[in-house]
Amino acid sequence: MFLLSCPHCGEKREEEEFAYGGEAFIARPADPETLDDEGWGDYLFKRKNTKGWHWEMWGHQTGCRKFFIVKRNTASHAIAGSWTLAEGRKAYDAEGGAA
Amino acid sequence: MKLSSHRLKIATARIDYDRPLSISFDGKSFPAFAGDTLASALLASGTRMLARSFKYGRPRGIIGAGPEEPNALVQLEQGPQTVPNLKATQVEVYSGLTARRTTGWPSLGVDAKSLGGRFSRFMPAGFYYKTFKYPAALWPRYEHIIRHAAGYGSAPVENDPDIYDHMHHHVQVLVVGGGASGLVAALTAGQAGLRVLLLDEQNELGGWLLSQPNANIGGKTAPAWLKAAIDELKSLPNVRILTRTSAFALHDMNMIQAAQSLQDNLPLAHRSTDQPRQRLHRIRADRVILASGAIERPLVYGNNDLPGIFTASAMTTYLNRYGVACGHNVLLLTSNDHVYQGAIDMARAGIKVTLADTRADINATWEQRAAAAGIALYKGYGIAQAHGGRSVHSAQLAKLDARDNRVTGSGPLISCDAIGSSGGLSPTVHLFCHDGGRPHWDEALLAYVAPALGREKAGIYVVGAACGEFGLASSLQQSRGVSNKAVASLGKAEVATALDFGSDEPAVTPARRIFRVPDGKKEGYGAKAFVDYQNDVAVTDIQLAVRENYKSIEHIKRYTALGFGTDQGKLSNVNGFAIAADALGQHISEVGTTTYRPAYSPVTFGTLAGAHEGDTFEPKRYTAMHASHVARGALFEPVGQWLRPWYFPKAREDMHAAVRRECLATRRSVGMMDASTLGKIDIRGKDVREFLNRVYANAWTNLAPGKCRYGLMLDENGMVFDDGVTSCISDNHFVMTTTTGGAARVMTWLEKWHQTEWPDLDVYLTSVTDHWATAAVVGPNSRKVLQKVCSDIDLSSDAFKFMDWRAGTVAGVPARVFRISFSGELAFEVNVDATHGHHVWEALMEAGREFDITPYGTETMHVLRAEKGFIIVGQDTDGSMTPFDLDMGWAVGMKKPYSFIGKRSFKRSDTARSDRKQLVGLLTDDPAEVLREGAQIIEQADFKPPAKMLGHVTSSYHSPELGRSIAMAVVRDGIARKSPDGQKAGRDIVYAWAGGRAVRAKIVPYVFVDPKGERQNV
Amino acid sequence: MSKSLMQSPLHHFDLAKQAVKPDGRHGVWAGELPLAGYIALRGDSATPAFVEAASSALGVPLPVTPCTLAQSGAVKVAWISPDEWLVVCPREKLGATIAALERALEGIRSQVVDNSGGYTQVLLTGANASDVLAHCTVYDIAHLDPGKVVGTTFGKSATLLHRQDRGFCLIFRRSFADYLWRFMVRAATPYGFGVALREDASAAERETA
Repeated sequence: MFLLSCPHCGEKREEEEFAYGGEAFIARPADPETLDDEGWGDYLFKRKNTKGWHWEMWGHQTGCRKFFIVKRNTASHAIAGSWTLAEGRKAYDAEGGAA
Repeated sequence: MKLSSHRLKIATARIDYDRPLSISFDGKSFPAFAGDTLASALLASGTRMLARSFKYGRPRGIIGAGPEEPNALVQLEQGPQTVPNLKATQVEVYSGLTARRTTGWPSLGVDAKSLGGRFSRFMPAGFYYKTFKYPAALWPRYEHIIRHAAGYGSAPVENDPDIYDHMHHHVQVLVVGGGASGLVAALTAGQAGLRVLLLDEQNELGGWLLSQPNANIGGKTAPAWLKAAIDELKSLPNVRILTRTSAFALHDMNMIQAAQSLQDNLPLAHRSTDQPRQRLHRIRADRVILASGAIERPLVYGNNDLPGIFTASAMTTYLNRYGVACGHNVLLLTSNDHVYQGAIDMARAGIKVTLADTRADINATWEQRAAAAGIALYKGYGIAQAHGGRSVHSAQLAKLDARDNRVTGSGPLISCDAIGSSGGLSPTVHLFCHDGGRPHWDEALLAYVAPALGREKAGIYVVGAACGEFGLASSLQQSRGVSNKAVASLGKAEVATALDFGSDEPAVTPARRIFRVPDGKKEGYGAKAFVDYQNDVAVTDIQLAVRENYKSIEHIKRYTALGFGTDQGKLSNVNGFAIAADALGQHISEVGTTTYRPAYSPVTFGTLAGAHEGDTFEPKRYTAMHASHVARGALFEPVGQWLRPWYFPKAREDMHAAVRRECLATRRSVGMMDASTLGKIDIRGKDVREFLNRVYANAWTNLAPGKCRYGLMLDENGMVFDDGVTSCISDNHFVMTTTTGGAARVMTWLEKWHQTEWPDLDVYLTSVTDHWATAAVVGPNSRKVLQKVCSDIDLSSDAFKFMDWRAGTVAGVPARVFRISFSGELAFEVNVDATHGHHVWEALMEAGREFDITPYGTETMHVLRAEKGFIIVGQDTDGSMTPFDLDMGWAVGMKKPYSFIGKRSFKRSDTARSDRKQLVGLLTDDPAEVLREGAQIIEQADFKPPAKMLGHVTSSYHSPELGRSIAMAVVRDGIARKSPDGQKAGRDIVYAWAGGRAVRAKIVPYVFVDPKGERQNV
Repeated sequence: MSKSLMQSPLHHFDLAKQAVKPDGRHGVWAGELPLAGYIALRGDSATPAFVEAASSALGVPLPVTPCTLAQSGAVKVAWISPDEWLVVCPREKLGATIAALERALEGIRSQVVDNSGGYTQVLLTGANASDVLAHCTVYDIAHLDPGKVVGTTFGKSATLLHRQDRGFCLIFRRSFADYLWRFMVRAATPYGFGVALREDASAAERETA
């Protein structure tokens, strides 16, 4: 029941307007065919399952239908910020790829 | 007018003596006044016992005056309007109110459990766990009897005739609690110009001030101050006040849920059916100011559960607010100053008052005022034990050591008809704690308090008694200061208006640290002393739990049931924690509290459901042709929120007969199905083919405009998750169809890939599901039907081939016609703007009349497609089937340059196994035997459990076309089993096990009708 | 193409039969603005060529500020996202508007889709209109200034929402229309609910046209 700030709509909105989109920055391997089973399995299934700060995606379902990045604390539900996909990537990298 | 035995005429009481009314309790009539609660009305007539306790069946009466009440649970009204387990202390009376007790079986006078009460030594904590543990099979029978005997009300069995709703609020400041400090908070925020919402659970604002009319604030009497404050609040347009509204939960980021009672206080006949009975408010607040007050906890002493024993504050409330004397000869017991004003009020009202203060040193001012009021004061005494049966009649006092909680001598036996005790105040910290806040133990106040600014960062502030400000003047001063901090945090100027909060309250003398009042005996040898009334938890139970090595307070709670139930331990928790701490040899601050969880008080299911019930329970989606289907007698089934025609029974037809008729009519002549519910996505851009190549297993590079292709969509694990036909409109423009239930999921899936992985692809996706209405005209005569209403498309077999589409005009409106088939027959799917959907459907029905065109529903669709072996994603697949498992390798473009979604997973060892479960057909030996869907496939009819499970039946029907049963199933290594080699080895014979029966079946190819696919090409 | 062959998604409620001229008797009035033209427009706000071409074809500057609405005459353009708009126009102008957009956007990365069968609009007015919205949506109506449009929840469904004609205009999908109407009527009933005559409901539309 938290509030999320949609970086496209520029407003804080109720959680009901959004849908969770999974852990952020799980990039599809550039060449899946040359990847071994373990590497492909990691991409498919391995997730951080963090207790604490977590970079994740949300989709603004009833609004702009855009996916964006949220840094959320999975234990306290505190939210450090939300960004567009591109800006979120920069913020994530600025933290060294993980919080 | 003659008042009832315990009713007094109190000038400041909040009842209306000019509006008498009559209520009924347990079949007896009682007089009451408007403004009474059920509890105050019953007490006014001298009612004592109205319940039996949960475990021992001990007589119990009213103890509290609000949400803390553990005993007086009633069943309100009857039939569909009945509500179980309401606290009599919270039920406002109305003319004709009818209520019943909820405990006491077979009757209040004779309770089966009271027999047990005499042997209560043998029913300690964990008694039920220990006694009824074996044999486990008998527990349901024990449970039935125990629950029946325990009482508690019953839920209505009829539909609820009342309506409920939800309302969302967005405010800058939410103030929870309309007592004195809450009023100051709301005034401060309101005067600062903020959007303010003030909630109070009672029928009017004022909180404890309503019980304390003889207090004064800034030179005004409490009632006068209250009226001025409320008048000013009401004059502020930016302040909204909701009474009878209980804030019961605080969630992330200051989302508060509150339940408002809108009509419960009205006589049944006066309630409007247009108005909600209760309303759930969901409030998002920038700042929350908790002014939730405190609840007085009783002291724990022998037989402290006798009817006629109250909290001291409840007695004061009954006197001052309701004009009710809880007794005519009252004994009060205290560890603190809070009881004195109430005691004086009682004495001035003509009640004989004896006051035992456990402290030897007390405040001189209070002592003088008490003496002046004629109160007999015993300093340094406790109650060792109360005496009585169905009502208290006396109490034995004991002299206490000045420092240690031990008995140093005997005291007098005091005759009394009511006892009130005060062990101090317990701040109502529940909301503060719901989303992670913790209270801290204040040794000076002897209370768990919510620190005023402890959650300032989260925008939560605490004022008044909830944060331990127990004095009137000091709490108002503190509320003003803290509220101004909240105001300033929102960028508003602090409200500086000087207010006089002066009061004539004497300075506070420290309370005695006492919870369990000693009786001079070893624990367990004196009279039973109760901590939790609702769950019959005595001091000995907590001590036993500790002896049995329960060390965490959460475990002690669960072993003893301390703090469970409808009162959630509002009276008992702190006493329980303190007694557990003693037994554990720890300080209470080390023991901590149990977890405070929503809801603060019970909320009805109706309130939680709101308008989400009946025909607005969830969206029902309709196609443009719905009225046509209703007119033709369709029965409907829900598919992904849509209501789709299921089948169209004619007179006296059952489903089987209707489906048989619909199937044969379609295969012999022509049928028509509403296919509007399929998901449709318009996709445009110069990279659309590349996009489709990536998201579908098939290849799309060469599909020409005017052509359609069936596609399988996979997840990244290589498993089929949707399918449908996608058509090329023009070189850069395609329209995709999805399954009905998968439409939203596919749209989100495609958007996600486009947005996250491939933003550079020039392609835009727009859902057009609702725009197009689709009529599938199916069967050998479908061309003839369409020809009658479509003149600008050449429908001939040569000009308009299978898997082509054409734009044209149907029944006078623009249409896209697709020659595709989900039945194996010649078929055309006519798509029009949905505003024309009804018109076109009716025009096609009219055109088809000479061919006896037959509308059909999903059931016939399923039979027709199963006869052809066409899969239904989600029925024949379950998220673990690859295209190869489905024997649909033809729909996979392995040569596409981009490694399409799911492709890489085909090489994973488990996915690449040859003996995976594979889709096959099944034919039973007996053509009349229709296998059960979900039946397990096993190798042998005779087996010793556990049998090796090879798969299951996914689709199974009677085929009218073949005159026999057909089935599809997923079977381990199924494709090899049905091969000539498999047949030779007899591996094509399996058994389908369901309902305790194995049915022999032969594995066959899953295309049962027209295996060469000739009919759709005519 | 004659409007007589068309049915709005709320056709089955036969609202015209229940409709009366709004007065002070009820707190909430609602009426459908049926059978308008709806065009989904996609393209990149950050591409000036796209914005200019779309604006000139529509005769309205394409709103590129988030959650804003542009209106000119009977044409309404609602911002949905940085690359999506919903154009609402009279049915009579639908074909010409689509043609104009497609012509103007030739060669520019974009999408123009006729979605007219997929939507309808309801105009909600009356003293308690905003109370009804507070029951039905999670959006804070106090933040809905004139000229703003938001996509938010409506019960368990969704709607576009903006102020229009001293009331609120809801734009929602056809297949959910029955649910939205019922849910709205249920929320409105405690305040007194009336179906507004179509002439009054569409007064704003006619005025601006």
